[in-house]
Amino acid sequence: MEDRPVKEIFTDVLGKPFGIVLFQLLEATQFTIYLSLIAFLGGGLIALAVTAARVSPLKPLNRAFAAYTWLFQSAPLLMLLFLFGLGVPRLFDIQVDPWYAAGIALTLYTSAYLAEVWRGALTAIPAGQHEGGKALGLTFVQIMVLIILPQAVRLAIAPTVGFMVQIIKGTSLAYIIGFHDLMAIGKRWANASVPGTQPFIIYPIMAMIYFSLCFPLSVWSRRLEKRLGSTSSKGRPTAAA
Amino acid sequence: MADLRFFEIYRNHEYLWLLFNGALVSAALTVGGGLFGFLFAVLIAAVRHHRVPVLAHVATVYVELIRNTPLIVQMFFVAFGLPLLLGYQWPFWAHALLALTLNFSAYFAEILRAGLASIGSGQTEAADALGLPRWLCFLKITFPQAAAAMYPSLNSQFIFLFLTTGVISEISVTDLTWAGLFIDSRSFRSFEVFFTLTVIYVLMSLTFKTALAMLHDRLFKWRTVR
Repeated sequence: MEDRPVKEIFTDVLGKPFGIVLFQLLEATQFTIYLSLIAFLGGGLIALAVTAARVSPLKPLNRAFAAYTWLFQSAPLLMLLFLFGLGVPRLFDIQVDPWYAAGIALTLYTSAYLAEVWRGALTAIPAGQHEGGKALGLTFVQIMVLIILPQAVRLAIAPTVGFMVQIIKGTSLAYIIGFHDLMAIGKRWANASVPGTQPFIIYPIMAMIYFSLCFPLSVWSRRLEKRLGSTSSKGRPTAAA
Repeated sequence: MADLRFFEIYRNHEYLWLLFNGALVSAALTVGGGLFGFLFAVLIAAVRHHRVPVLAHVATVYVELIRNTPLIVQMFFVAFGLPLLLGYQWPFWAHALLALTLNFSAYFAEILRAGLASIGSGQTEAADALGLPRWLCFLKITFPQAAAAMYPSLNSQFIFLFLTTGVISEISVTDLTWAGLFIDSRSFRSFEVFFTLTVIYVLMSLTFKTALAMLHDRLFKWRTVR
């Protein structure tokens, strides 16, 4: 009920169909943001565990999680969405809320990429640092926490911020499994035969909304990269989608 | 409950044929988009590298716009927006190819820009001193070096972009994802179908990776012979 005056302001300023459309698009954008945050936080937590496993001296653990990252980096995001949104429900004959399906698919996708970014940052630290730690008689955990991590975090921050752009863009695919976000609302309006909501008007508006979500992050990540020093190009996935 | 029936689904030869055909369409559109996108990206990167007035700024805005919006929005704009706006309608695969070309070009252009920037200005100065025209210097000196340096990035970017091309099925292009959705709607075996698709995508990206590695060896032979 509270957003009613806001909606009226939109319709007053921009006219009947267009004001409502823009209001609904902006309102749906919040779900795009929520889903991005879920994916980023959930994916970040899993990625922490995966990264820890991948740099640990235990060989089998390392191999298992290398396979995990490889798998979820090679599988298209769209396929993960289909598997969790359509495949798993059909397989087990259960109902899965699009929130869960989209959240899980994006979280797995994010975790694989972030784990790779973070591992890249860790391996970018010269071996001499490890050796120096060993020479001082520190344990593996001590070397990691006291020497390697503080240096690696610097390298990892910029690509991590850059990757958030990719997640935000990735959420645009979730409408395919029935998630109601900016993309779903926009597509519905573009298909509606209301004057002023033609595809060539709606899609540029949607592009502008996504752009205003992503561009500040892109700029920020580039600035961080300049300030903190960039990672080598290996182990750093490039943003796409 | 959880019973998997891969065999039963794919006893249907029509489905196998659809998957095969879809994989070919996906590969063809990706390679086409990659090639045209690369050519366009070279143009963009050249304009930005030489700071051509006005055009360089337009190119920057273009690259940022494409890189910060989802492919699917670009795809829908190209497929449904442009035809209404300009009053023409190509077959959908042509719209898909255009959208992929535009999308790929922005990512490639960004890599090329960084690659060109990494070539020291001493190289250009030396070419100037030898009296080489600017364009010849770009073609013969700057570009080959930048290309060699940027090949791995372009390579992995291409693989990544290939994995995102599934969205072209949304505009009724009969690509691999479309084939999967079609089989799913007929057989009602979603898990098996999308699992198969995932495997095919992974295998295809491995194939691309191998092909690109082989291409690397051929293109940059001069780098290893010193």
